[in-house]
Amino acid sequence: MTEKQTTEKPIAEQDFSLNLDDLRPRHAEKRHLSDYFMPRRHSFIIFHPDRCTGCGACEMICSTRNVEIVAPASASVKVVRDEKQGKNFSILCQHCRKPLCLPACPTRAIEKGDDGIVRIDKLFCTQCGLCTMACPAAAPIKDPGSQEIHKCDLCEGDPLCVKHCPENALTFTRGKGFRWIKALRWTSQLISFLLLVMVFIGTFCYFKTGSVSFACPTGTLQNIASSGTVVLVSVSSALALLILTVLAGRLFCGWVCPFGFVLDLVDKITPRKIGWPSFLKSRMTKYGVLAGAVGGSYALGFQVFCVVCPIGTLCRSYGLQSFFKSAELAIVPALASLEIAQRRSWCRYFCPVGAVLGLTALLRLIKIVIGAKRCKKFSCIQCAEVCPVGIIDADKLREGLSPKIPMTECIMCMRCIDRCPYDAAKIRFRWQKAVPGEGRT
Amino acid sequence: MNPFQPFYNMKIGVVDLSASKAEVIPLDQEQVSRYLGGAAMNSAILEGYQGDALVFGTGPLTGSFAPASSLVIASFASPIFKRLCHVPLMLRTGPDMKFSGVDYLVVKGTAPEPSILHVNHGKIRILPAGNLQHMPVPKAIRQLKKTSPPFQSVIITGPAADRGISFASVSIGQNGSLDKAGLVSRMAAKNLKGIMLGGTDGLPFNRDNPHQGKELEKIISTDKNFKRRGFFSVLKNLEGGKDAGKFLKAERKKDMACYHCPSPCMTHVRYSWQDPRNKEMQNSEDGLLLLDHTGCAALAKKVKKNILPILQSCLHYGLDPAAVAERLPEGGTMLEYLNAIDKIVSDNPHRTTDVSETYRLFGGGIPPILTGDSWEKRVGLAMILGVCPVFLLRFPQITDAALLSFISTREEDLKTLQDDLSSAIASLFSPETMS
Repeated sequence: MTEKQTTEKPIAEQDFSLNLDDLRPRHAEKRHLSDYFMPRRHSFIIFHPDRCTGCGACEMICSTRNVEIVAPASASVKVVRDEKQGKNFSILCQHCRKPLCLPACPTRAIEKGDDGIVRIDKLFCTQCGLCTMACPAAAPIKDPGSQEIHKCDLCEGDPLCVKHCPENALTFTRGKGFRWIKALRWTSQLISFLLLVMVFIGTFCYFKTGSVSFACPTGTLQNIASSGTVVLVSVSSALALLILTVLAGRLFCGWVCPFGFVLDLVDKITPRKIGWPSFLKSRMTKYGVLAGAVGGSYALGFQVFCVVCPIGTLCRSYGLQSFFKSAELAIVPALASLEIAQRRSWCRYFCPVGAVLGLTALLRLIKIVIGAKRCKKFSCIQCAEVCPVGIIDADKLREGLSPKIPMTECIMCMRCIDRCPYDAAKIRFRWQKAVPGEGRT
Repeated sequence: MNPFQPFYNMKIGVVDLSASKAEVIPLDQEQVSRYLGGAAMNSAILEGYQGDALVFGTGPLTGSFAPASSLVIASFASPIFKRLCHVPLMLRTGPDMKFSGVDYLVVKGTAPEPSILHVNHGKIRILPAGNLQHMPVPKAIRQLKKTSPPFQSVIITGPAADRGISFASVSIGQNGSLDKAGLVSRMAAKNLKGIMLGGTDGLPFNRDNPHQGKELEKIISTDKNFKRRGFFSVLKNLEGGKDAGKFLKAERKKDMACYHCPSPCMTHVRYSWQDPRNKEMQNSEDGLLLLDHTGCAALAKKVKKNILPILQSCLHYGLDPAAVAERLPEGGTMLEYLNAIDKIVSDNPHRTTDVSETYRLFGGGIPPILTGDSWEKRVGLAMILGVCPVFLLRFPQITDAALLSFISTREEDLKTLQDDLSSAIASLFSPETMS
């Protein structure tokens, strides 16, 4: 005791001031093991602008909960009527997965609970209004009378506005119950993995049955470069994948590639990413890798990239017959470990197979469009969050502008379509100019 | 206990434009108990002021959980019909007036310069509005939004009223109104450009049962009128309405409702047209909210397929489409019609009117969906309680008792309220009032 007293500073020198962490420590998001495989779906309110007549019943009933009187200006939901366009908008909190109001609050009065509801603790709120400014939909609403900030808390799971809307323009939902695209994709990936890695070992690189042959397009390019001859059969063998890409974009990357499947699995167990150095964040790198592979093959006389190709090594080295027999085994875990930096890092920045398919995708017949007008004023940006290659511009969506999806980068996993609760993400032919919610652009 | 206490702020705003003074005085509880509110109460208040006074009043149910509780009633001596008239003003004006802290607003005297009122938090400000004179209605509203204190609703006069045109009509926002009795002329004569309603306060109403409106909605949800909604569902019941519906073809239509109305009777239309006066310009796209059923029917009879741009032109100047229709030639071109409207605004021709006596009492703009006594009773009920008359005409199964139960569910209160309501409705149609 005496010893402890001697090590402590004199009281006059001690700092007794409280900082924000003492007053209100950050709420740590709890994750359970099941969340990695089947993330919890939190409920939220979807607004259907085509049904809303602008009667304001939602404002009325909401205000009775907020201030115990009918005072539409004190509601947490606001109906805005565009008199020229004849459209009604309902502004209400979407309880975003990553709410911008939360870090904007200087007193940490805003918290996202385990139930997914973003709440304002009135005790800590200083009514500064920064959350209103930070929210792209301006969903926290400042009461013009009392200056209090009102924000939807989903009536703790039983929203009154939804019950009182005479047109059913508001629906309380947990999103799509069954995501059939997700189910199909995982099934396809699993079957492809089993076939290419476990059963038909090594068939991804080259496969021939009767007069039909199949070859990896990147391998074919290297083969041509190393041998200096163009074999028509070899080129036609590589065409299968290229034709698929012309018809359906880079569907192979999202639905078939066995290494992509491994990366998706690794992503499930490493949900937190440490980030990727900005100087390496160039999607052009993979085209450089492709050029290097072709150039190297020409110079050295053999297919240099195939030695370290993660898809090739996975298909060649991990089959039942060849398990633990090759030094190539280290390549897959080494490259899969990039997943802790960013989702599908390999596919985004380095994969030369993706580069060939990306170039072919310039001739694609289809595209993915996201109509920001259909989801405007909600800014749920779930599509941007689920995109494994990070090609959906969340900022544009927040501004209410439809982002342009670069189809050379899109792996056609269709997660955006599957996830969007507003049906704003669609597949269109490349010549179609209609965007959901906007008509023709 | 006064059952009206939670339904009113119990305040009357009195504005003397001549003296540029505004005050808020308490509402007489006895008067409220006797007349309940709305048109009957307006008449009683009007008796206490000079003949040129204007009274804007709400009903006890205005802004409450009752369906379509959107009404504010303007009562005044009509310069067109030469009698006392009560004009219903809908959309959100009623609730916004109540939530601005006054239940009734009396405007007397004449302002020395064009003025506009701003009402909020139970306070009334008289603001100069000289810069809005002769400005088209949409432009004036844009200007107000930029320069004046915030407001939710605005009742405004257009350039036609500024020029003293008898064809003018008051406009709620930029959407026009059911005023065919010259409310706008009374306002213009007082140099009153408009009334802005802040609408940021609230009232407790019957908070014990906020689901009462929903219960009433269930009763009417089985009615065929509930499913047939929008402007055209009402229009087709009027004389020449079906033909008018054919001409109101638009690229996009969307049904719109007034405050807390479960069955919309307005429709927003978007259309494109070529202005014949400016042929260099490409087709322009415009949108407007159709809310004046009788005005549209009358206008469509004359201008047929040109109705939407002509209606837009009327709203632009703040003109009554029904009155304008009387001056337009039949079978003309768009250019002729637009020129005729310009001529009405510049020449101020004499206005004739053929609205029947009963319809005149309520401003001549409420569609004659029902006939005779039923129409009078339903509209009288609506104009006293502060519920949209079009809604009550469409749903006759909503009884007086069902509406009064929003004020009180106690049996003895209901009986008294029923008696008071009957006498208040009778007072509207008394020989003195009708003369």
